[in-house]
Amino acid sequence: MSALLEVRGLAKRFGGLVATDGLNLDVAAGEIHALIGPNGAGKTTAIGQIAGEIRPDAGTIHLAGQDITRLGVPARVRAGMTRSFQITQVLMNASALANVALVEQVRQGHSFRLWRPAARDERLLAPARAMLERVGLGARADVAAEDLSHGERRQLELAMALATNPRLLLLDEPMAGLGTTESAAMTVLLAALKQEVSILLVEHDMDAVFALADRITVLEGGRVIAHGTPAAIRADTAVRDAYLGAA
Amino acid sequence: MRESSRQIFVLVASFALLAALPWIAGAVGRPDLVTLGSQACVMAIAAASLDLLMGRTGLPSFGHAAWLGLGAYTVGILAFHARDLGPPWDQWAVQAWAVWPLAVLVPAALAAVIGALCLRTSGISFIMITLAFAQMFFFLFVALKTYGGDDGLTLRRRSTIPGIAPRDDVAFFYVCLAALVLVLLLLRRVAASRFGTVLDGIRQNERRMMAIGLSPFPYKLAAFVLSAGIAGLAGALHVNLFRFASPDLLHWTMSGELMVMVVLGGLGSLWGAMFGAAAMVVLHAVLAQWTEHWQIVLGPILVAVVLLARRGLWGALGGK
Repeated sequence: MSALLEVRGLAKRFGGLVATDGLNLDVAAGEIHALIGPNGAGKTTAIGQIAGEIRPDAGTIHLAGQDITRLGVPARVRAGMTRSFQITQVLMNASALANVALVEQVRQGHSFRLWRPAARDERLLAPARAMLERVGLGARADVAAEDLSHGERRQLELAMALATNPRLLLLDEPMAGLGTTESAAMTVLLAALKQEVSILLVEHDMDAVFALADRITVLEGGRVIAHGTPAAIRADTAVRDAYLGAA
Repeated sequence: MRESSRQIFVLVASFALLAALPWIAGAVGRPDLVTLGSQACVMAIAAASLDLLMGRTGLPSFGHAAWLGLGAYTVGILAFHARDLGPPWDQWAVQAWAVWPLAVLVPAALAAVIGALCLRTSGISFIMITLAFAQMFFFLFVALKTYGGDDGLTLRRRSTIPGIAPRDDVAFFYVCLAALVLVLLLLRRVAASRFGTVLDGIRQNERRMMAIGLSPFPYKLAAFVLSAGIAGLAGALHVNLFRFASPDLLHWTMSGELMVMVVLGGLGSLWGAMFGAAAMVVLHAVLAQWTEHWQIVLGPILVAVVLLARRGLWGALGGK
């Protein structure tokens, strides 16, 4: 069976800096695949190219067999692949519920309605409430995003990505800035998602990575220096030298 | 989006004051105030349409005067040719029900083409390219000697509205006021709709909107076209009000004035544009009586409002 996401020979150069250097990556259906590496290894650039925000110089990207290399960001989302952001990108003055309802509206594809009020439309609000329940924000639905705590905003970020109903989630550091307890809660949440959606996870929190990942790919200088199961990566001497240190 | 009771009070009081303007003008013996009121309503419609772009969608168009002018010239040119046409066209070319919708459609259709080009850019480039297109129209009408060139085009008589005498300034004021109310109610409805929600999202975080699967371009273009059409209606009213269309209506300084009205009233506040437009029209009239260098006085007033009332006149009047 072919992989859900197939990245082949992806390359990107910014002037003299080689950010991605012949990256090959497979994410199988139903797996959590972690992409790790030291700062500057090219993880965020790689996610940017896979999501469609950065155009690669060379290489191909296939999602479920479909060539998506030339598609823009919105088309890739409609094809079934959604990213979340390292720095939370939500509409700050809108409530958590309104943020997710907006995603639901875009997913339903009826945004050229100019007459009926959107804010009381149960066809949008009901699924949005259910999604907030799922990520544990049910009780905070009516709070403005700017008044949510950092951890709650990370949950909202995840809810918005999930509400697009993707087959593959690209999660860019979902644990960024979270405390120990919050990270543990997010780990439980992501583990529960695995039943329905495949995940490509970029993360610095190694506890979370080793708890969640089925397979791990290690980047350094834009190249893959190792990939395999968590146990194999932990044992890999090259990875230890480059990244994991004395861990 | 729901107005607070204080905001509703301000709106009701403002519209009551406007509706009573002809009586007030009669009582103080200043019938010219009625024309001033009509002008305020017309500019308020144009400013509110620009606010849909600037305030709601985050598109700072610096060429909005083009749509105002095109609406005005559509009415003016059709009336100019009315005598050359055979029946029933000669009558239709001066009927409000026939030419005013055209004054909406002509700018809207041109905006669909020009918007499609302008919206390939953003930020400063968008400001510059909208300015460039508007100046193109300005020079076009300066060059069109048939329609008066830079002397402008006189409208022999106002567009015919059944039941309203063409020289009745008070009746025409109520036409302008009714148009303003309808436009504001329409824009409020649009702002609260699914479409308006998407425009809000595009303004606040276009990257996020794309990341949830939305292609922003068609929505921005639709806002651009709708906005141009409403400005065209303002143009149709403007040429009827003064029975005169001039290229000055398309000049970049007019685009600038519209932007000032929007910011003065409160960017993105929908109702604010009306107060910004009224303030500009009234200040212009009062200060111009006092000195021909009235803009020297206007400048500091604008600076004070922008600095002291961050959310403009609407923020100051209506509170949070």
